[in-house]
Amino acid sequence: MIVLFDSPWLHGALLGLVVSVSLLTVTAAGLLYERKFAGRLQNRPGPTEVGPWGLLQPVADGLKLFQKEQIVPAAAQRFLFLLAPLLVVVAALAGAAVIPWSAELMVADLHMGVLWALAMASLMPLPVWIAGWSSNNKYALLGAMRTVAQGISYEVPLLLTALVPIILTGSFRMGDIVAAQADLRWFALWPPGPGAVAFVLFLLTALAESNRIPFDIPEAESELVAGVTVEYTGMNFGMFYLAEYVHSLVASAIAAALFLGGWDMGPLGSGLHWMLLKTLLLWAVIFWIRWTLLRFRSDQLMELCWRWLVPLGLGLVLFTATWKVFA
Amino acid sequence: MAAWIAFFALAVVLVGAAVMVVSARDLVHTVLWLALGLVTTAGVHVALAADFLAAVQILLYSGGVVTLMLFAVMLTRHLEGATARMRSESGARGVVVALMLAGLIGASLWRSDKLGAKAPAMEVDTAALGELFLGPLVLPFELLSVLLLAAMIGAIVLSRPEGPPGSVPRLPPRVTPPGGPHE
Repeated sequence: MIVLFDSPWLHGALLGLVVSVSLLTVTAAGLLYERKFAGRLQNRPGPTEVGPWGLLQPVADGLKLFQKEQIVPAAAQRFLFLLAPLLVVVAALAGAAVIPWSAELMVADLHMGVLWALAMASLMPLPVWIAGWSSNNKYALLGAMRTVAQGISYEVPLLLTALVPIILTGSFRMGDIVAAQADLRWFALWPPGPGAVAFVLFLLTALAESNRIPFDIPEAESELVAGVTVEYTGMNFGMFYLAEYVHSLVASAIAAALFLGGWDMGPLGSGLHWMLLKTLLLWAVIFWIRWTLLRFRSDQLMELCWRWLVPLGLGLVLFTATWKVFA
Repeated sequence: MAAWIAFFALAVVLVGAAVMVVSARDLVHTVLWLALGLVTTAGVHVALAADFLAAVQILLYSGGVVTLMLFAVMLTRHLEGATARMRSESGARGVVVALMLAGLIGASLWRSDKLGAKAPAMEVDTAALGELFLGPLVLPFELLSVLLLAAMIGAIVLSRPEGPPGSVPRLPPRVTPPGGPHE
């Protein structure tokens, strides 16, 4: 472990700050990457004007958001309305504390690490709901209700699939889970078949938890204008935008650690770069899905979760426990 | 020292949130104050070195129960903008019960010989916790799951539409506004 200070408080605070700032920087880069990527998918160049090759586009976007007026609707609940964007970003970033970037670099190697990340993800619907309700706008409230319904439903299969690597390792600690997959014995590949199913299921439900297409029914712009964010302007809106990207980035990192062996790459060595590569690849898959698929309808979303994903998740847990005992 | 400061800061927030839960007039605000109280409780667990309990507390209560409560509040009709009456007529009886409870807690604190004792430095081992549940504590653990299963089946039975299985649920009769329907 990297130790910056003898005092655990100072060490944790500083390391947390460094990782948070790095995550936000990667997210800003990811915004540009997604726009370029989406452009190529749709046979157009994407941003090209600001800076060489459009590289300064995220900076320009950020400046634009900061300059805009912050409007609070007269009928909104002012305190809650302004609190919600902050809480969203905090909840999205807090899950990153337990990500094992490498054998040495972890903000906190908690003995219940996976649980912490899942608990922070489960908190996400709450600030989003506060935003929708305090806006005092029917579209925002409808979006908020959808967020809560979706969040609470998809949390169940998310927890069930996260149990698969936990059972196989016999530990909640992120470091242990990655170490158990040394020498390319990734949980996505082994046990053959169900491991891959669990991995895909985890990525799907994590995608649903972060409210991205095809699971972005809470902000469906064609029917709800923009859902919970409809009354937000400037950087307050930017916070929701940012939180969504940070949340999906953190989910990619957790999926990479739980199922793709984290920082370890067998004979090719191990280190921070492998973890980053896997995380960014998964993130790119999320972008790819977003720009390829259509949006689910609200009832399709619920049916998919309760009729298919939850039973499948229960079956996976049962299989994994049997495998663990007999193999 | 730092743990003490953290504990007292958390305790102040927790008590404040708890008071607001029973005194806030808007039902949604009540639920949000409860959410703050539950998150702070998790913080108290951390300050008492019970990390596992804290994570489960956030996962189940702040993440699950609170969102369900918000749902329940929103699905209850005509609560939007309505304020609840928070004063009870049986205030005197409430004071008596509160005093008795405070006396009980005070007495047990008075008789306790653990006051001021240093908490043992322990790292809760989740694996050991699991083995306890599947070993010596397996009977209460299983009884609890039967209880939860019974509650779940009860909820399904209560929320099922009436009529024989497979039949289309009967919709409530359509109300025509006075003056006839305006299409």
